[in-house]
Amino acid sequence: MSKKVLTVDDDPDIISFVKTVLEENNYIPLIARNGEVGLDLARTEKPDLVILDVLMPKQSGIRMYRELKAEESLKNTPVIILSGIAKRTFLRSQEALTEFGDQPVPEPDLYIEKPVEPDELAETIKNLIG
Amino acid sequence: MKERKLLFVTQFEELWFDALQSLMDLRKSGFNHVVFLHVIERDKVAMHRGKGYLKDEETKLREIANIRFIDWAESLFEQGMEVGAYIVVGNPLPKIISTAEEEDVDLIVTGHHKKGKVEELYAGSETVDILKRTSTPVLVYKYMLPSGKINERPFERPILAMDWSPASERAVNYLIKFKDIIKEVVVINVASEKDIKGASAMDIQATRKKNRQRLDEICDIFRREGMEADSHLYIGDTCVEIEKAAQEREATMIVAGATGKSGLKEIFMGNVAKKLAKYSAFPTLLVPANIKPEIN
Repeated sequence: MSKKVLTVDDDPDIISFVKTVLEENNYIPLIARNGEVGLDLARTEKPDLVILDVLMPKQSGIRMYRELKAEESLKNTPVIILSGIAKRTFLRSQEALTEFGDQPVPEPDLYIEKPVEPDELAETIKNLIG
Repeated sequence: MKERKLLFVTQFEELWFDALQSLMDLRKSGFNHVVFLHVIERDKVAMHRGKGYLKDEETKLREIANIRFIDWAESLFEQGMEVGAYIVVGNPLPKIISTAEEEDVDLIVTGHHKKGKVEELYAGSETVDILKRTSTPVLVYKYMLPSGKINERPFERPILAMDWSPASERAVNYLIKFKDIIKEVVVINVASEKDIKGASAMDIQATRKKNRQRLDEICDIFRREGMEADSHLYIGDTCVEIEKAAQEREATMIVAGATGKSGLKEIFMGNVAKKLAKYSAFPTLLVPANIKPEIN
């Protein structure tokens, strides 16, 4: 049975690119354009993998990632961050939120700074969820 | 404290990251979420004779804005803030309104264009147009002081121009939300010369006394919130006197109510808001008549 991959990104070009890679590799793509919608979709669809952008309207990937990791049913879902925002920033932001009293969260399974080659993305997904 | 959102509208001509950084004091008032908006004006990419829609130009402008926003966002994310961004093509006014609604922001920050086609857009009548179509207060942010230094704490010493309209009374309540970063509110009322034309000395003194009492009542509202407040009466041209008062009292910002409803009073207020937005050397916070209900 094909595995479901949720992509959360506000850039239509990235969505189109990732969707094509997923379909060509027999995954079922799920799409959300911001963290709020992405989180709702993750709750209802229980994807096997989440590919998450950081800088988005409504709710950023940083906040959505924290919420994913806080939910019992979602916290073990692997997450690839695919973003123009540097990994260093993502980690510092998580540290800052933890300092403000939030629970600490683990690092994402993989962090890829945009752009990414289709083969690299397909290989990464395969390594994570088969 | 409820997390508040700030919509930062920039064309990269008038508001840069140092402007945004100078607003970071707002975090103490709950503003932990910044939404960037850059509008690529349609005529920059629209159909041109023989060329069609300039898709490559749009892509280039989007990427330029994206690179800037990523850089800004990284700085804010690292401070533990929440950040979002919109880069859209269209007419700025409807895009500002729709983004403010979409994100449900608590404050819109726009710049002041000094020249060019968009000069009128944010600073003059279009600021009033934004206020007509939204319940969200608009800060026309001039963050460079006349001395050339950055206005590092624009909310520290606001001057509130009261005209007793519902909008200016709501401005009182809106300012209270910033009590953690305001050191003192200077409350003023400007009587126009025509208001006292033909009146007797006794009538003028009675009016002065009445307005003075009303100002004191406003000061008491602030004091009950633990804020310092002082009041002053001025007479003359409304905008000129507000500007003069701001300079005399070393204000960091001018605050006034504004409404887009019809009627002579509102037309007058619209003009005051428009003039302040366009000509004042100070950041100008304009508060529309209808403030959305606050949920704390």
